Amino acid sequence: MEAIKPKSLEEVLEYKYKYKNDAKIIAGGTDLIIKIRKGEENPKVILDISTIQELKGIRETLEYIDIGSATTFTKISECILLNKNLKGLKDAAKSVGSPQIRNRGTVGGNICNASPAADTVPPLLALDSILVLERKGRKREVYLKDFFKDKGRVDLGEDEILTRIKFKNLLKNQGLGFYKLGLRRALAISRLSFAVFLEIDEMNRIEIIRIASGAIGRFPMREYELEEYLTGRIINEDTLKEAESLLERIIFERLKGRQTAKFKSIAAKGVFKKALLNALYLCKGVNEFEKN
Amino acid sequence: MNELKIVGKSIKKIDAKDKVDGTAVYPQDIYLENMAFGVTIRSTRPHAYIKVDTKEAEKIDGVIKVFTYKDVPGKNHHGVVLKDHEVFASKKVRRIGDPIAFIVAETKEIAEYAKNFVKVEYEEIPAVFDPEEAMKEESPKVHDRDNVFYHFKIRRGDVERAFLECDVIVENVYKVPMVDHAFLQPEAGVAYLDEDGRVVVIASTQYPHFDQEEIAESLGVNKDMVRVLTPAVGGAFGGREDITVQIHLAIAALTLKRPVKTIYSREESFLAHSKRHAMKMYYKTGALKDGTLLALEAKIIGDSGAYASWAMNVLRKAAVHATGPYYIPNVKVDSFAVYTNNPFTGAMRGFGATQVPIAYEQQIDILAEKLGLTPIEIRLKNCFREGSETSTGQILEGFIPLERCIEELKSF
Amino acid sequence: MNLKKIDVNINGKDYCLEVEENLRLIDLLRDKLHLTGTKEGCGEGECGACTVIMDGEIVNSCLVLAFQADKCRIITIEGIEDEIIKNSFIEEGAVQCGFCTPGMVLAAKSLLDKNLNPNEEEIREAISGNLCRCTGYNKIVSAIKKAASIKRGGDSE
Ligand SMILES: Cc1cc2nc3c(=O)[nH]c(=O)nc-3n(C[C@H](O)[C@H](O)[C@H](O)COP(=O)(O)OP(=O)(O)OC[C@H]3O[C@@H](n4cnc5c(N)ncnc54)[C@H](O)[C@@H]3O)c2cc1C
Ligand code: FES
Ligand code: FES
Repeated sequence: MEAIKPKSLEEVLEYKYKYKNDAKIIAGGTDLIIKIRKGEENPKVILDISTIQELKGIRETLEYIDIGSATTFTKISECILLNKNLKGLKDAAKSVGSPQIRNRGTVGGNICNASPAADTVPPLLALDSILVLERKGRKREVYLKDFFKDKGRVDLGEDEILTRIKFKNLLKNQGLGFYKLGLRRALAISRLSFAVFLEIDEMNRIEIIRIASGAIGRFPMREYELEEYLTGRIINEDTLKEAESLLERIIFERLKGRQTAKFKSIAAKGVFKKALLNALYLCKGVNEFEKN
Repeated sequence: MNELKIVGKSIKKIDAKDKVDGTAVYPQDIYLENMAFGVTIRSTRPHAYIKVDTKEAEKIDGVIKVFTYKDVPGKNHHGVVLKDHEVFASKKVRRIGDPIAFIVAETKEIAEYAKNFVKVEYEEIPAVFDPEEAMKEESPKVHDRDNVFYHFKIRRGDVERAFLECDVIVENVYKVPMVDHAFLQPEAGVAYLDEDGRVVVIASTQYPHFDQEEIAESLGVNKDMVRVLTPAVGGAFGGREDITVQIHLAIAALTLKRPVKTIYSREESFLAHSKRHAMKMYYKTGALKDGTLLALEAKIIGDSGAYASWAMNVLRKAAVHATGPYYIPNVKVDSFAVYTNNPFTGAMRGFGATQVPIAYEQQIDILAEKLGLTPIEIRLKNCFREGSETSTGQILEGFIPLERCIEELKSF
Repeated sequence: MNLKKIDVNINGKDYCLEVEENLRLIDLLRDKLHLTGTKEGCGEGECGACTVIMDGEIVNSCLVLAFQADKCRIITIEGIEDEIIKNSFIEEGAVQCGFCTPGMVLAAKSLLDKNLNPNEEEIREAISGNLCRCTGYNKIVSAIKKAASIKRGGDSE
C-alpha cells in the first residue's frame, strides 16, 4: 500500500486520475482503517484528504448551505451557520459514535461508505441535498437520493471524489427533525433512524414534507409513499395515527422475511413520530402534540 | 476509642500515580532486546478431529518456530480444578478458539502473515450446544466421559409434603446467558530466561502461584525453575484465573532461549478466556397465605462449555444461594455442571451467586403479587436475620443487616 | 512495504520519522517511541484507551494512520503535566486497574481546556468515548468536577 498526503484538491484529483480505482480516499479513516485491518479492503494507494483545507468547513452562498466533504461531525454539530431550524442535522452529527470519532469522522466518509446506518445521510436526504462530484477537469452534481446504488455501492466514477454537499437553508416555517434508536447513548450504531423535513402553514397544514429513514433498507432512503400520504394534510392525532400504520405496513413489506421485520416496523412508528414532532417543534417553536 | 489510622479513611491507591502518569507497566508495555513475537492459531470449529501441518509456515523468512502439542516438553494439559484443557489441541478441538499452534517470528507482522500458512485440517464431528441436550445419554461426548461432570444436591425438610401445605405455588423457568468480563486490557505477556536459566513469565494473572505450578508441569521442570511476575493488571473480574498466554510463552522462551512476547487482540481475548456460566433454572416456590415461604424446589443447569474451569465451585455456590437471603424450611436443589461445545465458562464476579437472584427474586415478586402483598412486605417476612438457618444448615451469626436494608427501601 | 517520511511534534518535541505506510499512530507511539501510556483496548474505536490529543482534539490513535499525522501536534499522556486533573483522579479514587486512565485523563483535559465549568451532563458526554470496565464512572466524573472546581479557583466542592 502506498500512502499519499496531497497538499491540495488539485493534487488529489491528479492522483485519483492517475490511479483510478487503485486509489482509495481516506478522510477520517474511521471506516476505512477498520476495513483495511480486517482485510475487507486492500487498496494499492490511499489518498489522505483529512487536512485538505478546501474540503473542510461550512459556508453559506446565496442559495445554499455548502459543506466540504472532509468536514468532521464535530465541526457540523458546532457550526453556527446551521440555524436552529436545521437542528436535525446537528443532532445527527452529534449522535455519531463518540467525541473521538466525531473529531475524525467526516460527512463525506459517512456518505461514501454507504452504510445503511450512516447517521447524517437521512437528514441530508430530507434536505434534498445535492452532491458535488469532481474529477480532474470536470465537476458534476447529483442528488443524494440518486447516489446510492446498493449496500456499500455509490454512483462515483473511478477517478471521481465527493467534494461538497449542499442544500437550501431553511425558512422560518421549515424545520428538520431527527431521531435515532441505538442500543445505548454513546458508540451505538443506529438500529433505526428517521429524519423529517417539514414546511407547514399557519393551520399546521403540511405544504412540503420529505422523510428519510436509516438502517431499514440497503441504504438510507426517502419514504415517498409516506410523503405523498402526508402532503396537504393537517397534522393532528388522526393524521399521525394513519401515517404510522401506513409506515408500519411499508416497512414490514420491505423487510419481509427478515428477522427484524416485526421489531423494526413497529419501532419505526415511534422513531418517525419523534422525528416529525422534532421538525414540527422547529417550525412552530412549540410542541403541540407531545403529551408531557 | 483511639482514632483509627486506616479504617474509615480514604487511602490513595499505591499505584494510582503511575497509572495517571501512564507509566504503570502492563505486559504489553514491555519491550526487551532480541524479543520475538508469538501469535496463536485457534480452532475455527466447535468439535472436530484435527491434523496440523506447520511446514509451509516454518519456511517463511522470519518465522522462527511453530509450536504444537508435539513441542510441549512436559504434560500437555492444564486447568484450575480438572486438567481438561490441552496446552495445544492434539487430536481434537472441543470449541471455537481452542489453541492449536503458536507461531513465533521475528516480528508481529511476520507472525500474523504466517498464520495463513499453518494448515489445519478439520474432520468435523457432531457437536452439542445445549446443556440439556448434552445431559442425554445419546448426545455427543465432549470429553471421553459423561458430559455431566458435577451434580450437587441440597436436601432439607420434606419438600413434597410442604408443597401440599402451601396456599400458593409459583413455578417458572429462568435463563441467563453467558457474559464476558471484557476487562479493558487484553491478555498479553512476555517470557524470557534469566541468568540462572529460569523461565520468567510476565503476565497479568489472578494466580501467579497456580500459574507457576501449571507452567512447570507443562515444561516438565521443577517449580523453582519458573518465576511468574504480575505487573499491572488491566482488570480481570475472574477472567484471568485460567491459563491463556502463560504456558505458550514459557515453552517458546525455553525452547528458543530468547524473549518472546504476545498480545491478544480484543477479538482473540473473547476467544481465549472463560465466560460467566449460562444457567437454566427451574424454580418451584411455595408460600402460605401470609407470605411465609415454605418450600423451594430448584434444578439449576450450568453450561460449562468445553472445559470445567471452576464449574464445580460455581454450580455449588449457585445451589447454596438458591433460596436467596430468605429462610425456607423445606428445600430441594439439584445443580449440574455440563460440558458442551460452547466457549468454556469459569469465574466471574459472584461465582454462581450472580445468576440465581434472577430466579429467586422474581419468584418472590410473583408470589407477592398473587398474595396481594408488596414486594417489601414479603421480603421482610422471610429475610435472613441474626440466627437464621440457611438451606445448608448454617446458622447466621454476627451482623445481618438485611432487614434494615429492606426497611430503607420503603421510602423509594 | 515502503517507508514514508513524516514530521510530527509529539509532546512538544519535533520528530522526523520514517514510518511504514500502513502503520497506525498508536503503533508509532508504542512500538517505535515506547510511549506506552497510550493503551490499546479494542483497536476499533470503541474503548478510547488509545486516546491522544491531535491538533487540539481528542482522537482514537488506533484509527489514525501514522502518515496522516504528518505536520500534526500530538499530545499523549506522557505529555500531560496537568497535576490538578491527575491529583483529582487519585484523590477521588477514580483509578482502579488503570488501563482506561490515560484516555480518561486526556478526555478530561480536552474538556477542561475548553470549558472550566462543565455540568455533569457535559462531563459524561466528554468521556462517553472512553470505556471503564472497572466501571468507576461516578468517581471519574467527580474527579473531573473536582479538577474543574480547583481550576476555577475554588476548593474542591
Ligand atoms: C467506534 C465507531 C463508532 C461509529 N459510530 C457511528 C455512528 O454512530 N453513526 C454513523 O453514521 N457512523 C458511525 N461510525 C462510522 C464512521 O465513523 C462514519 O461512517 C464516518 O462518517 C466515516 O467517515 P471517515 O471520514 O472516517 O471515512 P473514511 O473511513 O476515511 O472513508 C470511508 C469511505 O468513504 C470513502 N470516502 C471518504 N471521503 C470521500 C470523498 N470525499 N470522496 C470519495 N470517497 C470518500 C473512503 O474511500 C472510504 O471508502 C462509527 C465508526 C466507529 C469506528
Ligand atoms: S484501542 Fe482505540 S478505541 Fe479502543
Ligand atoms: S480503571 Fe479499569 S478500566 Fe477503568
